[in-house]
This record gives sequence, structure tokens and C-alpha cells, in this order.
Amino acid sequence: MNSAPANSKELLLEVKDLAVEFDTYGGTVQAVRGVNFSVEEGKTLAIVGESGCGKSVTVQSMMGLIPMPPGRITSGSARLKGHEILGRTIVNGKEIRGSEIGMIFQDPMTSLNPTMTIGDQIAEPLQVHRGYSYKKAFAEAIRLLEMSKIPEAAKRARQYPFEFSGGMLQRAMIAMAIACKPSILIADEPTTALDVTIQAQILDLLQDLQKETGMAIILITHDLGVVARMADEVAVMYAGKIVEHGMVDDVFYRSAHPYTLGLKDAMPNNDPSLQHELKPIEGSPPDLFSPPQGCGYTARCPYAMQICSKQQGENTYLTEHHFSRCWLHNSASPNKPDQLYFKEGA
Amino acid sequence: MTRSNMWIFILKRLVQGIFTVWFIATATFFAMHNVPGDPLLNDRATTEAIRANLQAKYGLDKPVTTQYVIYLGNLVRGDLGISFTQENREVNDIIRDHFPVSAILGILAVIFAAAGGVLWGALTAIYRNRWPDYVIMFLVILGISVPSFVVAAISQLLLVNVNDLFGTTVLPVAGWGTVLHMLVPAMVLGLGTMAYLTRLMRSSMLEIVSSDFVRTAKAKGVPPARIFAKHQLRNAILPVITVLGPSIAAITTGGFVVELVFAIPGLGRYFVQAVQQLDYTVIMGTTVFYGAFLVFMVIVVDVLYGFIDPRVRME
Repeated sequence: MNSAPANSKELLLEVKDLAVEFDTYGGTVQAVRGVNFSVEEGKTLAIVGESGCGKSVTVQSMMGLIPMPPGRITSGSARLKGHEILGRTIVNGKEIRGSEIGMIFQDPMTSLNPTMTIGDQIAEPLQVHRGYSYKKAFAEAIRLLEMSKIPEAAKRARQYPFEFSGGMLQRAMIAMAIACKPSILIADEPTTALDVTIQAQILDLLQDLQKETGMAIILITHDLGVVARMADEVAVMYAGKIVEHGMVDDVFYRSAHPYTLGLKDAMPNNDPSLQHELKPIEGSPPDLFSPPQGCGYTARCPYAMQICSKQQGENTYLTEHHFSRCWLHNSASPNKPDQLYFKEGA
Repeated sequence: MTRSNMWIFILKRLVQGIFTVWFIATATFFAMHNVPGDPLLNDRATTEAIRANLQAKYGLDKPVTTQYVIYLGNLVRGDLGISFTQENREVNDIIRDHFPVSAILGILAVIFAAAGGVLWGALTAIYRNRWPDYVIMFLVILGISVPSFVVAAISQLLLVNVNDLFGTTVLPVAGWGTVLHMLVPAMVLGLGTMAYLTRLMRSSMLEIVSSDFVRTAKAKGVPPARIFAKHQLRNAILPVITVLGPSIAAITTGGFVVELVFAIPGLGRYFVQAVQQLDYTVIMGTTVFYGAFLVFMVIVVDVLYGFIDPRVRME
């Protein structure tokens, strides 16, 4: 890799300028409009944002999971360990899905094949990628279920998805995704469909497995509580673009984009000392059939200035790893709201 | 646990089936009693004495309720009676001689219809809105709307021409005896059902193709051929299996026409003849027999369904 990161750890995945469109009867939807991010080995990147902001499309386009047509990757690159993976799923003669990148989905109830046993489904990637015999793969599937803390794994492996609860199914999904020891696990809203106590267990499991295997995690979520618990880095997405990116403490305690602030104000807090009145973000996200010329958040932003609707602000780096894409950070901005974090000395 | 559940399930269905067959038998019996006409009336003048003798022989001199009890008793013993119009021929013999022919034809037609329906349906779904889809779906509309006697006649015409062209009998135009005799009639008989199953399979497959678990399989890196075989086909085929029972009914009852056109000595001809000649015992016997056969086939299909869909097996 030519651009040596400041951090000593190697960049595992580097996504640059990714843009995805969908052709629909109503016109072309620009779902993702130039997204950049990178993932380091063994770290967790959370991508947050409300429904329809392009989080899922971003990762699904990398995995070749969006149907094309109507989907279309219009620009960008995604390099895994230096190899381009965008628009292809086979790198150096090897299928990367399931072997290099594992993925789990939002609804475990519908994401597993109802007519195949859990064990067979977990064994499948091992048979496909590793050439394991069925017997060996099934034995490994049982071990993986144990690793995912499913009791009576040997018996459970022979059962079908309808005999599992939602939380158990998500554990099985995780066992399946990590079967071939991928370097990245993409978790697309892994706890959204589960109840709160189960959510916590699933997140614990993901953290434990990350410690054991050293895999990186890309976590897609709209739940800031999940982010605070899991993430090393956070990318906040809005209307198909990343508007703020930084280490988890930067984004939470030194929020620099009005949208991040809006998200935080809309999040309930259990700590009585921090309790505040919940403030929803008024309005709705822009129509991505004809995305606004300027910043997508202008219409909902309490600090919007005239330039915001005309031109998108540039990424302003507040520290080496923390940027906000907002005109407020421009040196010419007359307004520096107290609620937002600004570069020292700015 | 699973296994014993399965047996209880089969047993339940069998008991239900027996009631269904009893109902069919009773309905046919009383329906036949209310059909105008007299089985012993024929062109030749018969004396009162002969009439009385014949009535006694067939038990027609007894009250209806007694006749019904005798009829049911014979049915339970497996005796369907003697034909009114064919001398000394038992209904059991007619069925024994001719049902196997109809059954082989029907089974071939069902296999042809099911295999074809699943294959074409899956193809149309995979090539959705491209030319293979349009071509197959056009043929499907033809297959559903053109009656089987038309298809039968046209296929015979084609066979005649093909045989002419090669100067030898490639495939026989009519008759029965060898596998070659069976092929074309079975296809003609199964065509309508195949068209129907194709449509069903297409819509079912389209639903599966965009389902979450197929996306999961893709994300696992499973190759397309394996996704098709292991994830899509087995799930998409479930609705097809559900209608397979009624389809067998449609094919066996539709067999009469095809048997007639292709001069096949099946049971269908006797069934139709019996109705025309008011051959009471043959009508009742074949109806009950067909009814029992269909009930049995539906049970077989239900059990088969349990093997393919684990969710049904456990209930």
C-alpha cells in the first residue's frame, strides 16, 4: 500500500469515492454519493445514520449483493489488502465472500434457509471455500456453534431454523459468517430485530469473537448505544455521504457536525445526570432522486447558512482522524455554535 | 419423536380418507338410484318372470336401504359387483385389466408435468423479462388454454408426418404395448398440468430469488449453481408439491379423452361407456375406485411434503 497510514497498523480495507445508483420507475436514486472510509485490522468501524441514508447499500455494493440492474456502482474503489474488490467477488481466483469477508444481517428469522439444518448451513462455507468433506465441515460447524455459546451444539446443529429463537438464530448466523475466519465481519444492523436483553448478549459475543480471532468489524446501525459500546471508529452518514468521521470519543464527546448533534439529542440516556429532553430532528431526509446541490442536511439544520444550500462543504480535519463535512468549520464562517466542537484555536 | 409423529400423521390422514371414500360411495349410490331409466329394460322384450328373476339376481327387488347396506357390505369386502351390460364380467375384473394401463399413463403424465413444470418455471424465473421467459410463458398460455383433444389430434397428425418423412414408424400414432406407445399420450395428458405448474413455479421461484436467505447464501460465497440447487429449488418447489395431489386428480380424470384419441385400453373408456349404457355397478365401482385412488395419492403427496419441508414434519 503506497499511502502509509499514520497508524502503524495496516489498513485492511480502503473504500474510496464509492457511489451507487438505482434505476427505478420514478427515476434514478443516488443512494450512495461518494463515500470514503477505511478499516484497520482487528478494529471496529461503526457506520451510523437513519434509515435510507445508504449505510446498507454501501456495504452490500462491496459484497456484490445489490441486484444489478437496477443497481449500478458509478464510481469508486474498495481495496481489500490492496486488491480491488468492487464489482467483482473473486480475487486471485478465490471467492472473497464468506472467506475473507463474512456478513450477518438484520433479520435472522428470514436470513436462514428454512429447509436446511443449521449445521448444514454453517458447514456450507467450509465445504465451498476450504474443500472440507461434509463430515469434517459438520463437525467444525458444531465447534463454531459452541464458540457462539449455543448450548447442546451437537443437537442444535441438526435442527432447523424454525426450532431456534431469534437470538439463537443470530448466534448461528455469526457462527456461519466466521466459519472461514474472515478478516472482516460486516454486521448489518445485527441487533435491530432482537429484544434488548438479547441485543446485549449478541454484542458481547461479537466482542469476544473479535478478541479471539482478531477480525475487524464493520457495524451498520442506527443505534448510538450500540456504537458507544462496540466501535473504535465511527462514520456518520447522511443522504448518501459521510458527514462526520472520527474515533468514537471524538464523535460522541466532540461532535462537530450538526447532524451528529441531532442524533445525540434524539437518543435516550439511562444516566440520570445526563438526562435531557428527547429532541427529534424535524423534517425528513432529502429526496435522493434529485439530491440537493449543497449539503443534504441544510433543510433540517438549525445552523444552516446561505452557502449550505448551494455547495457542499469540504471535509475539515479537526484532528488527524476526526473530520466534519460542514461549512461551520470553514474559517470564514461567522457562526460557531457552542454545542459543536471546533478545531483548537479556530 | 419425529418418527412417531409422522406415523400418527399418516394414520390420521388414512382415517380421514376412509370417511371421504365412504361419502363418495354413498353419494354415488343414491345419485345412481335417482337417475331415470331401468337397467333391465332393453330392446328385446322380456317377460315379467325374466324381469323378476333378474331383479332378484341383482338384488333390485329389495328396499333401497337394504340395497345400500348390501352395497356397503360388498364394498368393504372389495366386491364391486357384476356388470349389467357385459355378460359375466365383474367390475373387479374390469378394473384389474384396465386400471394398470391408465395408472401407467397417468404416472408418466404426472412425472412429465411435474419435472417440466419445475424446470420451465425455474428457467422463466431466472431469465425473468428476457426472451426465454417470454417464449416459455407464451407456450404456457397455449398449454393451459388449448383442450387436450386438440393437442392429441395435432400431435397424432405430426406423428403421421414424421413417420412418413422417415419412412418408418419412429413413434406409433396410436395403440398400446411398448414404452414408445406411452410417450406421446403421456405428454399430451400432462401438458395442461405442466403449463399450470410452470406458472406456479415461476412465481414461487421469483419470491425465493429475492429472499433474505438467498442473499445470505450469496454473502457466504456459495456458487450460483449450488445456490440454485440447495437454497432456491427446494424452497420454491413447496407450492408445486402442494398442488400435486389435485393435479393427479386432474390428470387421471382428463385421461378419458386422451385414451380415446390414442386408442389406449385404459379404464377411462369403460367409465364413459358405463355412463352411456347406465351400467350401474360399473359406474359406482369405477367412481369409488377412482375416488379411493385420488384420496390415497393426496395422502402420499402430503407425506412427501413432510419430507421436503421440515416445518410440516414436526407438527
